[in-house]
Amino acid sequence: MMVAAQTEQQGQGISSARAPLISTSHLFKRYQTPAGFFEALKDIDLAVYHGECVAVVGKSGSGKSTLVNILTGIDSPTSGEVHVASTAVHKLNQEQLAIWRGRNVGVVFQFFQLLPTLTVAENVMLPMDFCKTYPPAERLPRAIALLAKMGIAEQAGKLPADLSGGQQQRAAIARALANDPPILFADEPTGNLDSKTSDEVMEFLADLAKDGKTVVMVTHERDLSRHFTRTISLADGMVAGRAGQPS
Amino acid sequence: MRLSPRWKKLVGDLRIAQGRLMMMVIALAVGIFGVATILSAYTILTREISRNYLGTNPAAAQIQVDRVDDGLVQAVRHQPGIVDAEASSSVTGRIEVNPNEWLPLLLFVVEDFNAIHINKFQPESGAWPPPAGTILLERTSLQLVNGKVGGSRRIQTSSGQKLNVGISGLVHDPGLAPSWQEQTAYGYTTRATLALIGGPSRLSLLKVTLGDDVRDLRAIEQRVAILAQWLKSQGRTVEQIRIPPPRMHPHQTQMTAILVMLLLFSAMALILSATLTATIIGGLLAQQVRQIGVMKAIGARSWQVAGVYSVMVIAMGTAAVVLGVPPGIAAGRGFARTVADLLNFTLYSQAVPTWIYFVQVLAGILVPLLIAQIPIRKAARITVREAISDCGVQRAAVTESRLDRLLAGIRGLDRTLLLALRNTFRRRVRLALTLGLLAAAGAMFLTSLNVKSAWERNLAQASADRRYDLEIQLTAPVVEERLLRIVNAVPGVQNSESWNILPASLDREDGLSIVRTYPDEGHGSFSLRSFPPQSDLVHLTLLDGRWLQPGDINGVLINHNAQAMLRGVKAGATIELRVQGRPLHFQVVGIVREIMSPATAYTSPAAFQRVTDFAGQSNAVRIAAKAHDEKNILGLTRDIGQALEREGISTKVEISESRLSGALSGHVYILIVALIMMSVLMAVVGALGLTSAMGTSVIERTREFGIMRTIGARTPTVMRNIISEGIFIGLMSWCVAIVLSVPLSAGVGRLIGTLAFRSTLPLTLSLFAIVLWLTLIVLGSMAASAVPAWKASKLTIRETLAHL
Repeated sequence: MMVAAQTEQQGQGISSARAPLISTSHLFKRYQTPAGFFEALKDIDLAVYHGECVAVVGKSGSGKSTLVNILTGIDSPTSGEVHVASTAVHKLNQEQLAIWRGRNVGVVFQFFQLLPTLTVAENVMLPMDFCKTYPPAERLPRAIALLAKMGIAEQAGKLPADLSGGQQQRAAIARALANDPPILFADEPTGNLDSKTSDEVMEFLADLAKDGKTVVMVTHERDLSRHFTRTISLADGMVAGRAGQPS
Repeated sequence: MRLSPRWKKLVGDLRIAQGRLMMMVIALAVGIFGVATILSAYTILTREISRNYLGTNPAAAQIQVDRVDDGLVQAVRHQPGIVDAEASSSVTGRIEVNPNEWLPLLLFVVEDFNAIHINKFQPESGAWPPPAGTILLERTSLQLVNGKVGGSRRIQTSSGQKLNVGISGLVHDPGLAPSWQEQTAYGYTTRATLALIGGPSRLSLLKVTLGDDVRDLRAIEQRVAILAQWLKSQGRTVEQIRIPPPRMHPHQTQMTAILVMLLLFSAMALILSATLTATIIGGLLAQQVRQIGVMKAIGARSWQVAGVYSVMVIAMGTAAVVLGVPPGIAAGRGFARTVADLLNFTLYSQAVPTWIYFVQVLAGILVPLLIAQIPIRKAARITVREAISDCGVQRAAVTESRLDRLLAGIRGLDRTLLLALRNTFRRRVRLALTLGLLAAAGAMFLTSLNVKSAWERNLAQASADRRYDLEIQLTAPVVEERLLRIVNAVPGVQNSESWNILPASLDREDGLSIVRTYPDEGHGSFSLRSFPPQSDLVHLTLLDGRWLQPGDINGVLINHNAQAMLRGVKAGATIELRVQGRPLHFQVVGIVREIMSPATAYTSPAAFQRVTDFAGQSNAVRIAAKAHDEKNILGLTRDIGQALEREGISTKVEISESRLSGALSGHVYILIVALIMMSVLMAVVGALGLTSAMGTSVIERTREFGIMRTIGARTPTVMRNIISEGIFIGLMSWCVAIVLSVPLSAGVGRLIGTLAFRSTLPLTLSLFAIVLWLTLIVLGSMAASAVPAWKASKLTIRETLAHL
């Protein structure tokens, strides 16, 4: 319980009502390719506030996945700063990032990325195991509860391969929530789902924002915009437009 | 207890990759088996050879005096530093093994069989002590003399008299090298029996033991020299003092060194199998890069990821230890029994010390764990972005390289073969590991067979250098012309030369003649010989200086064993020897290489006669026969023996070339067998390495095969692609193995040659080994890649495309 309490405190530390929860300043990302340098992000400044459900949209190659990767610490900026609450993410090394991410950020991938040899419940328990955020005895009940919240509790004992795409993505969201992080990042979470399932998954994510989580999502499906409180459009690595007001 | 998810993942991974992991366990078990075999044999043999030899209470020195009696023995026991003394004698003679076929006999004369306390031997069967008119035989001599306990054999001593003596029993004398190795029979008898056959009636050998504080050779020499001076002061004539290397069986150094070399080979096998483990783990991790990325994305730290895979290696190592150690220990005991039989000592215990088990467990687990840390740490440190964007091959490997352009330039090359060639270089780190593994296995395989060839070539060369078929040594010198006339008159003799021989020692200021000879009178001996400088019956390789000239009155040619005994003396140096009690000064004119010959200094006949009392006489003759087959030589030996006997000339020993070759090759066949065993272990590890590498490569490219088939490639095309890749890797490793085997063979040849012959083995590249390894590697590569290729071809396109 002590570990859980610590996490809660960290969560409270992040959720300041006035300052942006996530902010970037003069963010650049440049890649070396056989054809020369490619600038994936150019001078990105943005702010995301607590409880928002923000969509990052743009065409393929616009830099939206790169942006989310940098926000989650999966990738590092070439220059510029990334602050998530009081943490200067761009200054963390890989080990510090792993610890920070495990406790503060949930990540949902387009291809679900559930570990194939673990059951759905075990996949959800895995972050708790690595970060030791919950005592061992509490991990399975928590995993089942999260899966129940996603509506797939009965699938807990199955392997990911036995689940449909939508069920796998819900399991992936449950895993992202395992350590109760205040922020959820999702990279094209509905990219592999049919429109009905996509809608359901978006509904889940939007509800999480309503429950107090901050959700940042990469998508190219503009017809799902009704689920977002705000949309940031990227084009050629630059912010091309913003829709909606920070909540 | 419920396993946490990360460990459940480990169990799941083990289940999925069970084929490759089983290979990893087998490879490790093979390596551990090799180390366990040699290490356990090493501990058993080094312990037991000492136990056997020291159990004889070996004499620190044997002093040859004119006579030894009880009074002298009692007095010697009270001399300072002397712990015990005992009187004995040994006489050389011959024993008839078949009608008119004789072998050298060394007969030990024992004053009281029930009171032997120095150089002890144990009764094995039959009578104890031997009744009058009988002898006991060392157990390894019975078969050599073609006899049986209760039977009899004619023996002849220096008196020339031949007497039929009974074989009344067998003894085990662990202080001697086995009879069959030395081609000399060892007998034990009483003074009474010796008198019956015309031997000297009094004992002449004084054996002494010193305190435990006197262990090094120099200290023993000092103490025994004091005793010798005292003996002289008592009016005794001290003829020779034999001080063999203290507390060491005659073959102990060679045995230990060869075991150490085998241990190094087996450790190499373990390291190779551990490298294979690293390769397999590396392949497994390459497949799991995305999973590692996901784990890190959800909070796993590098050490946690590394921990999961390290535990996997520990589990595999533990399984390999369980599989490899028990049979390894059993094989080690078997190997120890074989070596003990070979060296004629008894294994009183085959117990393997507990620390061996600990070392095995640690080596079996720690060595692969340490080597596997290279891929594990690399994989665990990968960033999430790198892991999630991993596409299976390095960017550099898929961009067009100089090699690709070179390959593309080959006209008429089948596209599939071109693709296979390019695939070979896609995973360069893994290719380097696989190549290294296969090449190391191949190099060691080739080295073991190269060393075997070099050994045989060395023996063949030594045999070719001895251009005679028979040497006969006489009990007393006879007029040279007469001797040669008798011998040349025997039908079948092509050519003969008189070759004299006398025991020699290094001269000392105190006038004592101290030699390093063991009680078998062979190991550690030193001789002065003469031969005609224009001899047709010998050809020795000159290492330094020049060949002997007829006018060399003061010059000697020494062989490399004598050079070693003379502390590396060079041509031009002056040496001081003691022969027939006289100090002699010679100038070394040259040094020759003479394989498996005792230390010898050669002079011209003129010089020999000048420094000895052999005026115009000779005590040895070397003979070349018209026909060189063993049967003919046997008949010729008999005929010459009879011709000499008719003339009243007594033969001391007959040494035929075939017998000498038998003795030499008998010394080390076990070494060759052990080396071949090692090469087989290497071949197994290498084959497993290639199978694993190919399996990993196919699994990684499953999706690519699906795409190839989608665009029209047929199953045989896919299979040919994979098998060709395997063969390319095999062929590349074969080339590297040949190159690596050259310095390795030279190094091992130097070690073994120095131990066995005090001379480097010639660097020999066995064509047979090269072709055999090529065959094995091509067949192995085909087999290793055919299985994963066949599996890949059986997958449906849907399955291959769904593969992540």
